[in-house]
Order: sequence, then structure tokens, then C-alpha cells
Amino acid sequence: MAEPATDLTPLEDSAELLAAEEHEVQIVGRSPTYLAWRRLRRNYVALFSLGVFIVIVTACSLAPVYAHHIAHTGPNTIHSSEQVRVNGKLRKVVGGGSFYDAKTNTFVVRGVSILGPTWWHADGRFVLGSDSLGRDVAVRMLYGGLNSLKIGIGSAFICSFLAIVLALIAGYFRGWPDWIISRFFDLIWAFPVLLLAIAIGSALQVNGFHHFGINIEPGSLWIPLLVISYVLIPYIGRPLRGQILSLREKEFIEASVGQGASPLRIMFSDLLPNIASTTLVFFTLIIASNILTEAGLSYLGAGVQPPNPSWGTLIAEGQDHINTAPWLAIIPGLAVVTTVLAMNIFGDGLRDALDPRAKVRVEH
Amino acid sequence: MTSKRRWTWLLGVLAIAAGLSMMVAAYSAAGTKHKTAATKPIGTLRAVIDTIDYLDPQQAYTGQSWWAMWNVYETLLTYRHVDGPGGYKLVPGLAQSLPTVSRNGKVYKFKLRKGLKYSNGAAVKASDFKWAIKRGFLATGQGVGFYTDIAGAEAYSKNPTPQGNIPGIIVNNKKRTIVIKLAKPRGDFLTILALLFAAPVPGNTGPAIQNGSIPGTGPYKFASYDPNRSFVMVRNPYFKATRFIPRGTPNRVEVSLIGDADAATQRVASGQADYSNAAISPDRIADAKSKGHLVLRDTANTYYFWMNIREAPFNKLKVRQAVNMAIDRKQMQTDVWGGLGKATQNVLPPTYPSYKKLSLYPHNLTKAKQLITQAGAKGATVKVWTRNVTDAVRAATDYQGVLNSIGLNASLTILPRATYYTTIGNVNTHAQTGWARWLEDYPHPLDWFDVLLNGNRITDQDNNNFAWYKNKKTDKEIEQLKKQPVLTPAVNAKWATVEKQIMQQAPWAPWSNRVFPEFFTKQIGCIHIQRLYGIDLARLCRK
Repeated sequence: MAEPATDLTPLEDSAELLAAEEHEVQIVGRSPTYLAWRRLRRNYVALFSLGVFIVIVTACSLAPVYAHHIAHTGPNTIHSSEQVRVNGKLRKVVGGGSFYDAKTNTFVVRGVSILGPTWWHADGRFVLGSDSLGRDVAVRMLYGGLNSLKIGIGSAFICSFLAIVLALIAGYFRGWPDWIISRFFDLIWAFPVLLLAIAIGSALQVNGFHHFGINIEPGSLWIPLLVISYVLIPYIGRPLRGQILSLREKEFIEASVGQGASPLRIMFSDLLPNIASTTLVFFTLIIASNILTEAGLSYLGAGVQPPNPSWGTLIAEGQDHINTAPWLAIIPGLAVVTTVLAMNIFGDGLRDALDPRAKVRVEH
Repeated sequence: MTSKRRWTWLLGVLAIAAGLSMMVAAYSAAGTKHKTAATKPIGTLRAVIDTIDYLDPQQAYTGQSWWAMWNVYETLLTYRHVDGPGGYKLVPGLAQSLPTVSRNGKVYKFKLRKGLKYSNGAAVKASDFKWAIKRGFLATGQGVGFYTDIAGAEAYSKNPTPQGNIPGIIVNNKKRTIVIKLAKPRGDFLTILALLFAAPVPGNTGPAIQNGSIPGTGPYKFASYDPNRSFVMVRNPYFKATRFIPRGTPNRVEVSLIGDADAATQRVASGQADYSNAAISPDRIADAKSKGHLVLRDTANTYYFWMNIREAPFNKLKVRQAVNMAIDRKQMQTDVWGGLGKATQNVLPPTYPSYKKLSLYPHNLTKAKQLITQAGAKGATVKVWTRNVTDAVRAATDYQGVLNSIGLNASLTILPRATYYTTIGNVNTHAQTGWARWLEDYPHPLDWFDVLLNGNRITDQDNNNFAWYKNKKTDKEIEQLKKQPVLTPAVNAKWATVEKQIMQQAPWAPWSNRVFPEFFTKQIGCIHIQRLYGIDLARLCRK
């Protein structure tokens, strides 16, 4: 008579025990988060990119401190008629230029010279030079970065939140809610992102938004922030909806339904944790995408409104002086490239760490 | 030979010698002239200009369009092809002579020149002038507002039909006469008739916009038009030069429409084009100067900041005066266009005979701050409006800084170029202050004071009086001066007084009379500028 199966305890032939017997090494169970972190910390390029991004965010956050205590000026303060001491020599912030000679009743035509980067040789003033109105480029760069990051990160939050909620509703309920939400995604998807953003942004910049008890004045940072949030919703919402539709068919969801869990509980306790890693990756990638979109919008005049700086407006302003003062366009351009590159590399690293098989990317 | 005969012989020889000398001199002079004009023809002129609105005489209302169309469409009266102030002088165009004007200034009689033909060979009729005015109303042309003082035009404008009549225009095709009767006298009416809106077009021209396809009577005709890209002008075979309307020197004018000033300038610098009137950016001026001819065009314009006297804090005189004092006009010329402008406090540009320099508001920041405090406007919120064009944004940014420096709390609102003027000209916008400019339509003070600062002409929509300036005294004076048919020195002096009275109320802060750089390759010479229409095609030559 064979011995009853119940005498065998599960541990006796568990993989851990067998492995321990074979290699004399205890295998310890690891959480997915730990595994992801372990993979991520081995990706030095991704970590370096994260470091770069943190440095940029910190520097831009300290813009008011830099402006007040080092440069002693504001982002929009005009110094065109002033002189600054560089290496002990007095130099005009904006010099040269044509002038009308009343005696001869003619114009003397001369080019305008703009103060270039002083590289800390002017007591912290005009470190990155001046623009054509005599404003401190370093101060405007930092404030511009602050605005760009506010819009980039803020719109990533709003966009991700709305996309998750819509995707959960569409994926869980299916049927007509799914149809409506999907058509809404299709509608936005049908327009090129930048064109749609320009159209909405330009319209709102004229009169602002004054409906449903919400009052947003023209020129407010909220306009580009909300416009970008809105136009990018389907780029996160559609892939998440697909993932939720797939998860909805899994046994653990059926089990929850069978146990009488409410739809809200299933959506937020069962489905949401399962799309968390994808959402996190999307979030990082969408920040980069939003910063680029903001730069494009502001460059075209539909985003941040001058004289308030953003990297996009700074590029637009600098473009007029590309021949004689190229730093005015190159410096903000480099800032955009560095930030977006850092976020994209980190986002890719995060994706590889969280789910190496996933094909998460923001495409538009 | 008697003494008398000897003297006669001697005088005869001397006379022959003098005659021969004169003939030789005349021949030499003629030879020189011939050499200048004929041995260096311009051939094809390749021009680059900013984008235009239309190439239809009843529709076009931009300086770019008018520059080209002045050479294609002639009006009853036109302007002389000369440099400087002489370019403002009205001369007969299609009309045989200047008109006779009735004593009350309400009736104008013209007679067309004989044998006039359009570029398609059709004869020009007196009725074509009437059709041109009607066509403007039918197509809601941009310039119809100028012609509503013609008797019956106001009524016609309310229900315009091709068959409808403007009784104030009486034409006789056989006699080639045109009689125009006004409902009320208007001192600037002759200059209004010289506007291209009144250029006769064939009677069978439909009211719909037709860019470049309507035959004209000028020295050129449009050969092709590629919207927003280019157009070509070639000689009009039916054109006959007159004393006042010469032939153009280029056989063909190829015009590229490029909105990007840097790209346009680059075309000339690299030899791909002969001429560009793009606004060269201040830091490219020196480079451009070294690569070609840089000619500064001194046109009648005033750039100003308007202050809406209906809206706080600009409803207080002290605030408006403070703003005028706070602006560093000289510095702004450098900040905004690299110094290519003259600081001004006048409404009228210095090219006008009515101009009398005003210096009411010397730059004084301390005094300006005091005035703001006295007015109780410290910290008042102000929205500065401007349009999305580089120089306008730059000027408004500077202005915003000025307002903040005297204790106001100013922010900037930038509107698209296309909607800017309609938005700030709408009463519901309640725009407080902002950027504006005015380029003359025709050389008469009425084009400035009546359009921009006459309180009687304020409208709720499409208002040009952005300051909403209304003053019984100055309004009355403008209305009285409107009736003066000729700008005599006495009338000009009165205009100068009106200007001073207005500026004492400071509804505007004028700050610049800009000059426009015109850029040519070094091969182009004989560059002459007609004050109203710009580069004169009749006098260009190639070096």
C-alpha cells in the first residue's frame, strides 16, 4: 500500500529545497519592484540621464534665488541702456546701432552689438550674455526652464490621470462607454498633435477660457499646460485601454467579479496595479514629449506668451539674431535637447527594468 | 568792305561759331543722356517683397501691393515720379488735367485723356470709373469707406447692386467727362481719388476678387500670379507715357513673395534677387550694407502706444502724461529696430507740411512716478496689447517694462497679426493700452486726425480710434478743417495747433517715425524713392 500523499509536505520537493540541496544556496523570493530596481541600477546610462534631469530640475527651481542673489535682475528686466563691468572694463549691454544725425539729416547705419556671455567675469551678471533688449539670458534660461518643466511635468500628470481614468472605464465596462471613449480617442488622434495644439492654444490665447466657473486669462501658463494635456490623452489612453481589455478577461478579474467586488474596486484595486508599470514608463516618456510640444507651441507663439520666457520662446527670440548672437538660440536649444534626451533615455531604461518585453513608446 | 559790312561779317562768323558750339554741346549732352538711359537697361528685375493681400485694385490695401499696382493701374490723379516732398504733388493721371472744383468744394469735373486703352486693348470709358467705385461697394472692398461722401454713395452702400446707381457720379462716355458731386465738402477728396481703390476697371469686370487678371492702364500688366509665392509684371503694349507717367525701365519684373525677412535679405546678398524691401533685422544691417546697396526709405509713418481714455487707469490725464514722460524714445529706436527710426512725440510724421515738432514730454522717470502716485494709480493692473510680429512684440515688451518701472502692474497680451486690429477696435474688448502704427494712405492730415483721433468717428466695431479719444474742441476743429479744400500754410498751422491740443491730452504716446531699409545688389543703380509708393521702377538702372 502506498503511503498517503498527504504525508508529503510541500517544502520537501520545493524548488528552493532542491536548489539548496544541489548548490547549497538559499534562494530568496524577490518582489517585482526589487527586480526592476536591480535591473535599473545596472543601467548606468539611464541612471546618469536621471541625474542630468534632476540637476536641470534643481537648477531651474533655483531660478528666483539665482536671479535675486547672483544676477540681481528679473527675467523680464530690460538693461539695454546700461553698462556692465566685464573683467574691469565697462561694456554696453546693447551697443552700436544706427542713429539719426539731425545735423546732416541722415542716418548713420551701423550694426547692433549684444553683450555675449561673460562667464562669471561680471560678478554673476550676464553669465550667458544678454538678449537684444538687454535682458540677462542666464536668468531667462532658468525661468524659461522652470516654465517649460512646469508645463511638461504638470501636463504629464494631468494627461496621465485622464488617460488612466478613461482607459479604465472603457476597458472595464466595454460596450457603449468603450465606444464613446474610443471614438473620442480617434477624434483627437485624427489631428496632428502640434497642429491641434496650435489651433486650440491660439484660440485660447486671444480671450482666455471663461466657462464652467473656470477663468483662465490669456497669457496664463495654464493654457499651454491644459492644451498639451488634452491633445496627448489618446497617446496614453489607447494603449492602456488595450491592456485593460486584455486584463479584463483574466481569471483574477472574473474571480473578483464572482466575489461581488464593485466595479470601482476592481478598476482601482485589481486593474490599476497591473498597469502601473506601463503607466510609469508612459509618464516619464510623456514628460519629454510634453517639453518638446511646449517648445514647439511657444516657438510658434501659441504657448508661453512673451515676455515670459520658456525654452521655446527663447529659441524664437534668438532666431532673429542667429548670425551675430548665435548663443541666444543655441543655449535654449541645447537645454531642450538635453532634457528631452535625458528623460527619453531614462524612460527607456525604466521600461526595460519594469518589463523588458513591453513595447511602450509615445508616438505621434 | 565797308565798316558796316565788316561788322556784319564778323557778327555772322561769331553767330555761326556760337551756333556750332551749341550744337556740339547739345550733341554731347544728348549722347551722355542716351548712354545713361539706353546702354544700361535693367532687363529683368528680380524683386523679393513681403506677402501681399490682393492684386485687385478695389481690394488691395497693403504697401506691398500698392508698390506693384501703382505701375499697373492708373487713377484719374496720381503722384509725381520724383524724390522727396515733390512726390506728394498731385498731377493728372488718366485725367487730361487737374479737375475744376466748384466754389463750395462739392463738385469735381474731370475729362479723360484721349485714346486711353487697357492692357487688353479695350478702350477706357468714363463709365469705367463709376463701375470701379460701384465694384468696391459690391465686393465690400477695403477702401469703400473713403467714397461714402459721394452723393448717393451712402445709400448705395446699404443695398449695392450692379444695376444700382450712385447719382453723385455722372459720366459721359462720348465726351469722356466725369463729374463727381459730394454730399458735403471734403478737403482730402482729390487725394482719395488718387488712391488705387478708384482706379477704373473695364465695365465687364465682375465684383468678385480677381488677383492680377484685371486689365490696367499703367506701364505694366500682370503676366502671372501664383498666390503667396510670386507674380510677374511685363510691359503693357498699349501704354503711352505722359509727362507725369513715365515708362518703367525694367522690361520684366519678377516678384517673389517671402515673409521671412532674413530669407529675403539672403536672396539679395547671394545674388539670387536684385531687390528686397524686407525689414532687415538690426544685427544684419551692417552685413547687408557691406554686400549691397542699402537705401533708407523715409515714408510717412508713426508708431505709437494708444491709451484708452475710457479705461482705468488711463482715464486719468496724469497717468497718460506719466507714460509719455517715462518712455525713453531714443533708446527704443535702438531696442526695436537697431536705431533705424526717429524719436517723435508727434502724431503727424515730419514729412508733412503741417508738422510742427512737439516736445511736451521730456524723458523724466522720477516725474512720471510722481504723476502716477498723484493719480492714485500705483499698482494698477494694465494689460498691454500687441500683435505677433517681431518688432511689435519687442516694442510692447519695452513698453511693458516702462509701465512697470513707473509703478503700474503691466502684463502683455499678444494677438495674431490677422485679428489684432479688429480685436482692439472692438468696444467689448475694453483694451486698455497697446501698440499700433499708422502708415499713410494718402498725404493729408485728415488721414491721421480724422481716421485715428476724431471722436465723431468712433464705432463699436472696427474702430480705428484705439484710444477712444473724444474731445469736443478738437473734434469740432477737425470737422471744420475737413472742409478746407487746399492745404495752405494757414490751414497747415491750424492742423499743427489741433495736434498740439490733442497731445496735451496725451491719448497716445507716439515714439517713432521708422525708416525702412531697401536692399539692392551692387549691380542696381539709379535708385529713386517715391515717397508714397517706394522704389520707382521708372528710374532704376543697372550699373
